[in-house]
Amino acid sequence: MKRQFRDLAVVLGFMAVIFGFSLLNILKPDTAVSISERRQLAARPKLSQTALFSGAYFQAYEQYLLDQFVFRTELRSFKAFTRLYLLNQQDNNDIYLVGGNISKLEYPLNEKAIGRAAEKLNSIYRQYLQGMRVSYAIIPDKNYFMAANNGYLSMDYNELQQIMQSTVKNMDYLNLFDLLTLDDYYKTDLHWRQEKLINVANKIFEHYGLQTRVTLEQFVKTELYPFYGSYYGQAALKTKPDTLLYLNNKYLEKALVFDYETEATGKMYLPEKFEGVDPYDVFLSGAKALLTITNPHAPGNKELLLFRDSFSSSLAPLLAEGYAKITLIDLRYIAAELLEEYLQFSPDQDVLFLYNTQILNNSILFK
Amino acid sequence: MLFPSISFLFYFLPGVLLAYFLVPARYKNGVLLIASLFFYFYGEPKYVLLLVLASISGYFHGLWINKLRGGRYAVIPLISSIIVGLSGLLYFKYTNFFIVNINSLFGSNLAVLKQVLPIGISFYTFQILSYTIDVYRGGIGVQRKLLDFMTYVSLFPQLIAGPVVRYATVEGQLNKRNHSVKDMASGINRFIVGLAKKVIIANTLGELGQIFLQLDEKTVLFYWIFAVAFMLQIYFDFSGYSDMAIGLGRIFGFHFLENFNYPFMAKNMTEFWRRWHISLGTWFRNYVYIPLGGNRVSTLKWIRNVFVVWFLTGFWHGAQWNFVAWGLYFAMFLVLEKVALNHILERLPVFLRHFYLLFFVLISFVIFNADGLSESLNNLKGMFGFLEIPFSGAETIYYLKSYSLVFLGAIVSATPLMKDLVTTLVSHKWVKTAFYTATPFMQLVLLLVITGYLVDSSFNPFLYFRF
Repeated sequence: MKRQFRDLAVVLGFMAVIFGFSLLNILKPDTAVSISERRQLAARPKLSQTALFSGAYFQAYEQYLLDQFVFRTELRSFKAFTRLYLLNQQDNNDIYLVGGNISKLEYPLNEKAIGRAAEKLNSIYRQYLQGMRVSYAIIPDKNYFMAANNGYLSMDYNELQQIMQSTVKNMDYLNLFDLLTLDDYYKTDLHWRQEKLINVANKIFEHYGLQTRVTLEQFVKTELYPFYGSYYGQAALKTKPDTLLYLNNKYLEKALVFDYETEATGKMYLPEKFEGVDPYDVFLSGAKALLTITNPHAPGNKELLLFRDSFSSSLAPLLAEGYAKITLIDLRYIAAELLEEYLQFSPDQDVLFLYNTQILNNSILFK
Repeated sequence: MLFPSISFLFYFLPGVLLAYFLVPARYKNGVLLIASLFFYFYGEPKYVLLLVLASISGYFHGLWINKLRGGRYAVIPLISSIIVGLSGLLYFKYTNFFIVNINSLFGSNLAVLKQVLPIGISFYTFQILSYTIDVYRGGIGVQRKLLDFMTYVSLFPQLIAGPVVRYATVEGQLNKRNHSVKDMASGINRFIVGLAKKVIIANTLGELGQIFLQLDEKTVLFYWIFAVAFMLQIYFDFSGYSDMAIGLGRIFGFHFLENFNYPFMAKNMTEFWRRWHISLGTWFRNYVYIPLGGNRVSTLKWIRNVFVVWFLTGFWHGAQWNFVAWGLYFAMFLVLEKVALNHILERLPVFLRHFYLLFFVLISFVIFNADGLSESLNNLKGMFGFLEIPFSGAETIYYLKSYSLVFLGAIVSATPLMKDLVTTLVSHKWVKTAFYTATPFMQLVLLLVITGYLVDSSFNPFLYFRF
């Protein structure tokens, strides 16, 4: 190629990119939500004299342009590929991959946050739970299994457990760490797989003295594919999707889930949510402040109060095999002070605080 | 507005290119002026009026000086232009510095001004001053068209981050410029290289700096990594911006002078400053150092001149004592080199001379990269083991590993190695053909990757933005 042709190609190529993207962006209708990033995208800011002259309008406009950029996902992939594979950086926006398994760095251990979480448990105990059988358990995040041994930074999980055990009073610690492996989690998501939680459910039953034991065979398995978990979109790289599998049977089918917020009664599983922004919402309809599961076919009339995060959405249906009533309380969405308005506490209820390490390490999320 | 932004790349630039190349030649400066004022307004709506007033002041002072040029009273408009020009800079950039220091010295309680520094004020003030001083000296003709003068002052490629373009450099081009595919291609190439330096290298190293600052447990090794990362970041940030400015200028028919010439390849401080921020060094030499007598005076006066220039150079970079210390640090080395050090350095092997330069420049940027002198000192203590911290740790190793290729790429790119390699290779005919064929595609891929970085991240600061 002669220099003149090269120069012409450079000019035409550059112009094609800047004018092409410009035109495509003008023509593209705005998108409200990014499915892959699981967030609302910035909308066109409203123009006002104050906003214009303070600079706020153009700042917001810049964010709007970034969020609404055409081929956003593909361009983010370019960046992720460059960073992880060409520049050999360990992570991209804290997301890293090991053998198709995606995780997000959770580092370092925030000792203050762990202490605050432990104190939160103590204060709830003092306010509502005295004289009841109260336990707490910690769900290790995926980094516990895949960070340190692959050269990634991870929090000190032993220290985390020690802080909890030395600070939390009047509660038993139920250790789940040894029951889990990396295979028990989705590859593209942070959550654990329901079909891998049989031993976790049985350990909880055993801990509270229930005779109930569950086996995989007693459930009907429904597979939903492809499941692109929350880390998939954040990674912006092509990896194999997971299969989301949920366990059901004729008894669980008849269990009722009451949502205190909407005052609506529904089912344990909502397969139609699989097509939504977060497919994990198939389990108990996703993030909810206060839910009650009632299983009329449970072997006894035991009740469980489960203080929980999203991990419990997939575990609770299995626990419903042993409990007639499970109340799920998510302290990220409801303040502990408001609980007495909705719930009744009695000494024959079992109480379990079940939180994953990422929530404990960011306990500022608790209301 | 920043060059590495979606608004600039995919809205502003296409719009300006379209308007600029569609209008007849006589309207081109008008298009550039309107575009430049909007460019400034987008980032600093409040202070666009200040830019316009400064330009008008410079224009009329130029006419006034020209009217009296050669006469004994010509110095009056010159002094007036310097006072007016510097008063804006002093008020917006240095008032709070003086207030804080007066309060600290006399225990007074003067209130600091609640204002931000107008973007680019240090650059456009120096450009206007270079014009009025050169008109006074008779080195250039006076600009009689207000529109053309305002275009020179506010020209968006160099408005907010330099280089400091002297009027003499673009005097002819303001009236008549040639546009060619060759110049455009060369400008585009330079612009994309600058973008990549800024977005892929400087921002990534800046991100490492942010990680370091947020760490609770710092280590000696990480203090060193932080220092090296910043030295490279500021080079790629600023030289990247200069590349973009030069490239954009070329697209629109302007030929700005080079601002960087592989400064880390220097073998002493004197050479370093001939290669780093050349336009600023040239400005201080022409308008401060030489008028003070330069080196054609007694040794003591020469030392005074050097210290005055470098005090001002440091102060120009920021209204904090660490910037002053940074400038004086270089003054000390420049004097020492001239008096004695150069004789010793010249006898040393080349790698030791490079080591000398890199080590002391690194220290200089530790002084520079701090929020005040005490933080500079603390960072130096950290580097040299005077803080009770471990040598290394898990985080240090992790981030060193994670950024090692970025460091390597940055270090190689800070030398002429790649340029020399390409020059050597294209001397072979088939390599030349392959290179010319691949270049447009490589540039497009690079542009897409840069766009990916911009879309993915909001981390896009610019170090020289407030200078």
